[in-house]
Amino acid sequence: MLLMYAYPFVSSFTRSFVGSEGNLTLQNYAKTWDLYLKDVAFTFSVTVFSTSVTAALAVLLAMYLRFRQSVISRMLVGLYKLPIFIPFVVVAQMMNTFLAPHGLLNLALAQIGLINIDKPLELFNFWGLSFGFVWKMVPFSVLIIHGGFQMIDNSYIEAARSAGASRAKVITRILIPMSKSSIMVALVLVYSQIVGTFTLPYMLIGGKIPTTITVDIAHRVNYFRDFGVANTLGVFSYLLVLATAIYYLRSSVKRVAEAEPSRR
Amino acid sequence: MSLKRILVVAGELILLLLVFLVIFGPMMSLFIWSVAIRWYWPSTLPQEVGFDYWRQALGLQKSLAIGAVSIVPAFFLSLSIAIVVVCIAMLIAIPAGYALAKYRIPFAALIMFLFLMPNAFPQQPIFVNLLRIFTRVGLAGTLPGVILVHILVGMVFGVWITSATFRAIPPHLEEAARSVGAGKTRAFFRITMPLAAPGLLASAVFVFITSLDEFTGTFFIGLPWINTLPMTLYSSSGYNMQFASVIAIILLIPSILFMALIQRVLRAEYVGGMG
Repeated sequence: MLLMYAYPFVSSFTRSFVGSEGNLTLQNYAKTWDLYLKDVAFTFSVTVFSTSVTAALAVLLAMYLRFRQSVISRMLVGLYKLPIFIPFVVVAQMMNTFLAPHGLLNLALAQIGLINIDKPLELFNFWGLSFGFVWKMVPFSVLIIHGGFQMIDNSYIEAARSAGASRAKVITRILIPMSKSSIMVALVLVYSQIVGTFTLPYMLIGGKIPTTITVDIAHRVNYFRDFGVANTLGVFSYLLVLATAIYYLRSSVKRVAEAEPSRR
Repeated sequence: MSLKRILVVAGELILLLLVFLVIFGPMMSLFIWSVAIRWYWPSTLPQEVGFDYWRQALGLQKSLAIGAVSIVPAFFLSLSIAIVVVCIAMLIAIPAGYALAKYRIPFAALIMFLFLMPNAFPQQPIFVNLLRIFTRVGLAGTLPGVILVHILVGMVFGVWITSATFRAIPPHLEEAARSVGAGKTRAFFRITMPLAAPGLLASAVFVFITSLDEFTGTFFIGLPWINTLPMTLYSSSGYNMQFASVIAIILLIPSILFMALIQRVLRAEYVGGMG
């Protein structure tokens, strides 16, 4: 693990300062700044947008599943988990066919008269990419957040209700504050996973401008064997997740420390 | 009151329909493509459907179309890589998970930290540097190189699930067995292992699926020699939509089976702890 993970991790920092002749330099950063600043911004905006949409949808769905016990809600519990284990390659191929100008989505929308088939929605961009991410990430987030909601005992909710709290109050005062940690963990994991995902943007957007950092890294390595700039881009992607990574690592280490077995 | 009920149920039905369409829409699209033989724009559905591309993919029918190769070798390659990866990863993950769950070991915090890092940071820069290192030692583009990367990716989940499983087993059970005279090994194999079996199985299957679906690491380390199933999917998606869709569906099946299999043992804590 040290050899296979920690060493490459550290060397992605050190290598970003090494020029093509093996000299110590900042030219990789200058090049990245000139060529790829737009893509860094694009990655950041897609990630923030997709994470926010995912969070909103996941919390709403989890709330519905927590409060409503009916035939339909039970069917939804069985249904929603489906995308969790579908790999990103398959999601990418799905979205490739689904969102294409002549894809199923455009054909269906044209069929019900929402769009004109001669002017299909162009979705191999920001919006399609975000759709793919949200499609894949909402189920995962619902699983974690719903789990958090389930751990809150019904008696709290009943007590608040009988003391006259409205359902909205129960949600904002009890449900959300008490499961803050699971909501945050879901958000943080979704955020950092989106920043690091390579397959979906690679197959959906590819080399078009703007694209994501992950695609740029692959281009730098495959076409130019340019490890310096690739690693600099890697450092940029680390910087994008820095805040969430610190939050995640701190809270997980705390959680693990609490569960630490005592010496026997 | 009854009108309100009807509205609520109608709302629920609309929600169900929406979720259904959003989840199955892209899957349907994949399926339609995989059986589309002739599909000229702007027709809503293909004019001619059939399983020709399935037969070509499974090697039952020869084809001269670009991007159409039999995927049988790729399938068996992926399968064998996954089996080797599961065996090695579980041989490491079971003792490691047990030790992390039950004992105070030196540098435990550091080890935990190391295993949490891949969730917090993008993994792609790791693969880039592994490629550089592997090129130097002659592992780039080789089967052992790809297997090593798959172990690296799968192990993180493997260790998390096994340690969560062992932690969930109350220590007094093993102690009770010890107090009536069972040895340490006997207590472990007779008490702890059977109780942990579902979790360990879930962990093994998880590692298996991770290896089967692994793309990014194989892309960097394995190119151009190691053509696993996901790599074949990628290389054919450029020019042969139908073919790529067939492979995508074949890759979809294990994931859905896995879903059904671990539905019972799948708990949010697992995913929360490992993901």
